[in-house]
Amino acid sequence: MSEANFLELYKKMVLIRNLETSLLQLAESTGEVSDLHLDRGQEAISVGVCSALRSDDYMVTHHRTIAHSIAKGMPLQPLVDEILGRGTGVCGGKANEMHIRSPEIGYLFSFQLVGTAAPVAAGIAWASRYVKHEDRVVALFVGDASTSNAQFLEGMNAAAIRKVPLLVVIENNHLAGNITPDYYFPENSGIRDRFNAFGIESTSIDGNKIDEVVKSAKAAVDTIRVSSRPVGLICDTTRLLMHKIGQRDVRKPELVAELARRDPIAYAERMLGLEERQKKEVREEAESMVAKAISLAHEAPWPKPDATLLSE
Amino acid sequence: MGAVGILVTTPNVLPERRDVWFRNGLIRQGISTAIYEKMKVDPMVYILGEGAHMKVHFDAPYIEKEFSNRVVTWPIAEDSGINFALGASLLGVKPIFDVITGDFLYRVMDSVCNTCATTTYIAGEQANPIIIRAEFLLFAPSTGQRLEALFAHIPNLNVVVPSNQLDAYYLMLDALARKEVTVFFEDRMVVDAKTKPTDKLDYVPRRPQNRIGQAYVRKAGKRLTVVSYALTLQRTEEVLNEHPEWDIELIDLMTVKPFDRQTVLGSVLKTGRLLVIEPDIVTGGIGAEVVAATVELANKMGRDIRVKRVGAPLRTIPASPSLHDMIIPNKARIERAVKEMMAR
Repeated sequence: MSEANFLELYKKMVLIRNLETSLLQLAESTGEVSDLHLDRGQEAISVGVCSALRSDDYMVTHHRTIAHSIAKGMPLQPLVDEILGRGTGVCGGKANEMHIRSPEIGYLFSFQLVGTAAPVAAGIAWASRYVKHEDRVVALFVGDASTSNAQFLEGMNAAAIRKVPLLVVIENNHLAGNITPDYYFPENSGIRDRFNAFGIESTSIDGNKIDEVVKSAKAAVDTIRVSSRPVGLICDTTRLLMHKIGQRDVRKPELVAELARRDPIAYAERMLGLEERQKKEVREEAESMVAKAISLAHEAPWPKPDATLLSE
Repeated sequence: MGAVGILVTTPNVLPERRDVWFRNGLIRQGISTAIYEKMKVDPMVYILGEGAHMKVHFDAPYIEKEFSNRVVTWPIAEDSGINFALGASLLGVKPIFDVITGDFLYRVMDSVCNTCATTTYIAGEQANPIIIRAEFLLFAPSTGQRLEALFAHIPNLNVVVPSNQLDAYYLMLDALARKEVTVFFEDRMVVDAKTKPTDKLDYVPRRPQNRIGQAYVRKAGKRLTVVSYALTLQRTEEVLNEHPEWDIELIDLMTVKPFDRQTVLGSVLKTGRLLVIEPDIVTGGIGAEVVAATVELANKMGRDIRVKRVGAPLRTIPASPSLHDMIIPNKARIERAVKEMMAR
């Protein structure tokens, strides 16, 4: 991948960071955003993996959907409209931030219950390869916490049995909501052991280094497209904010500060050798796009109530 | 016959001879035939479930013969199976997921109610039909529980419990034509071929292509409206047939959600009395909804309605067969309830 391409990925990450920050400010100041699960510190994974996908490949995710929507190519306006509950949103205001889907860009499913996305993604991958005979790949994004859920384990079992073209991206932020891995991994056992149980190959990488994510995801996607089988990509990462709005970050501030030294955006800036002026330009462009989208969303109409809501 | 249904192979009963087996066959043959006919014209119809190939082998050898590649045998992992089916449906597959025993539905409450019902709502016109099949057979504490009322409380689900093979056939065809989730129950306690099909010449459906949500007046009458479905419908019909002098209207709900308010209300406005006889638990059940909704509508029109519900007690199913008769209303209980309501 060329430097120009990486610059584009960097711009996407900055856009995501700015969008999330603005929505958080909105939530805290006006309360008009009812719920918000932010991705800050993990942006390189969705942006990097999606850059390794073809535009007609599919994506399925957990409930932290804002970064993934942008990464897969969703236009900014319908995304912001959806999060602000408008009828012009990508799902007509029915989904909000935790159930977003947009078949036009291959984003078929996201869900709030941890683990559910795994068997759903396996079903999509199976239908794509064995019913519709496509050569597409499904990228599934879940957190390390979901690997303790039966839905994840059953989904991996099915994906392996059915030999489906599935890239299982683990965003390994070492958090399940607000609790730490010693509550959900036994001693001497981790994510790789869970993949191994189903004979699924997996690779562990630093998910905060965009170049590493792009390279590994590309290799995995190429393998999957040819061989049609599930492959795991375990991306070590850092969630730099609390689990969701309205909650306090239970971690010690020193720990979060330490994690922030691995900020994927700062890494990309160093990698690309960007000067202050260039960084400022990218940031300001993102800020102006986001401000415009939010202001347009405020003027957008609310969804019309359907017949069920109007009946007694 | 119902109890040994899974062992009954049907090599001679090909779907072309529907006229023959509709008078003699099992409810599940109605279901299988609808699926088979739909599979013939729609390559996206798939059957999934634990032991799916085995079940098709016994129930519908014609499906096994022609469409074995569209039958997916799943591990004993019901919840992920239905999530998998939902995923496939997002690419156009029309999955029929068979959990077999109704009690297993407790394990899939999440995938059915949380995943399928909400996702088809969000997907709207982009959704595809999803059918969840399950059957009832009274046996022991966790075998024979009836869950139709639980699912009837969930938005974006249809819940059907047909009482005979022809209704089962049409309801399955309708379920496969809707971009909705349908929980499709097969009451294996119904004694097959005893309840005559609704599609006699005198039955003209209000909406011919739209069976789900439509009840059927099996017997016209003026003194009392009796609403029932599945096993208790069959038993009630037998009781009423023994007393042709009772001027009673009998309605087969068939779809317990959304239930046919129009038909029930129309009857109740005529009779002034409503008796619901249900095979499921009375507390918080289908009867509670039918009675409350109908009385509300009737009261609005200035009518007082006398009501009664009869059904299973709120208790765990005893394992001993000697006690089974005390769970689902038998003919004696049904007769007592009818007489009590006639006297009121």
